[in-house]
Amino acid sequence: MRAAATCALVLAVAAPLHAQAPAASAPAWPSAAELSGSDPRVVLGAPAGQGLHGSALEAGTKDVAALLRCPVCQGLSVADSPSTTAQNMRHQVRSLLEQGYDKQQILAYFEKSYGEFVRLQPPLRGINWLLWLAPVVVLLGGGAVLFGRARTRAAAEAAAAPAAPADPALDDYRARARALAFGETAEPTEPR
Amino acid sequence: MNRKVLLAGALVVLPLLGVLLANIRRDPTSVRSPLVGRAAPEFTLAPVGGGAPVTLASLRGKPIVINFWATYCVPCLQEHALLQAVARATAGRVTFLGVVYDDEESKVRAFMAEEGASYPVLIDHGGRTAIAFGVAGVPETFFIDAQGRILYKHSAALDEETMRASLHKIAPALMSEAR
Repeated sequence: MRAAATCALVLAVAAPLHAQAPAASAPAWPSAAELSGSDPRVVLGAPAGQGLHGSALEAGTKDVAALLRCPVCQGLSVADSPSTTAQNMRHQVRSLLEQGYDKQQILAYFEKSYGEFVRLQPPLRGINWLLWLAPVVVLLGGGAVLFGRARTRAAAEAAAAPAAPADPALDDYRARARALAFGETAEPTEPR
Repeated sequence: MNRKVLLAGALVVLPLLGVLLANIRRDPTSVRSPLVGRAAPEFTLAPVGGGAPVTLASLRGKPIVINFWATYCVPCLQEHALLQAVARATAGRVTFLGVVYDDEESKVRAFMAEEGASYPVLIDHGGRTAIAFGVAGVPETFFIDAQGRILYKHSAALDEETMRASLHKIAPALMSEAR
């Protein structure tokens, strides 16, 4: 009912507007170069290499499809998803490889429609550097903090530990312990 | 509390809070598409029920609404009446097109016979046009201005308010008087 009322309103206003519309020249339609259409030649230009065939084509399709996110799935690649959309995308990858487009061109082709989201491996550019570098920085930073703490604690414990008593009676035992632990040769004397 | 611990916590929490605040007002049905603001992908598709293929370029000079839909999609059926009514009301000023997404032509034909169809519905064999438009499910509706540029993409069932606002983007003269 509300839809009908809206439409009646639109129609009431649109009809006279249409009747009065000046015969202006048609707006400029985008040139073929501007059209981001389904024709890969318009979007990507010429293929970068030679077309693939046979087993190389099958392997290439699988490799490139594994780098594309299935847009209708939850975290599945186009290679892994059984959905119709993924099947269509695999067919398109195959067709583009047959025509000689390379991996980067094909990824760019899908990115043009779906955005960077469609790439399962975000490319190293812009803020994506943060994504790739943050784990390394956190790991190195965490390691440095832990190492520093361990050194501080060791130094504190060493400072707090009482010095070994200077007891000549223990010298022989120390010498034997060093010999056992480190292979140091010392002339042990009989313990007293 | 230890200042270092506080600082480390702030370094972790503040960026996350920033991301949350930046997106909290975002409309989840208003999907950011790289195609918005760009020329719509060209296509040539045959209509359901036969007839001459429709080329996007042949529709130049008028605003266009393209609705990707399927008969198995409940939100598509919910917005069907609104789309049909607005298409009839704006006939001659705005071009409406339906594009079938991953569905059988016989089912689409039966649905159109039963529910009515006031604008052409096109079959996208192989889903190439859907992929070129970055469709990730149905319904998705693209609002294209008379210059052929996508100005808005809606990824849910259309309601009257959204329809009005979206048509205003591509046909301001038509809609501003209707308010």
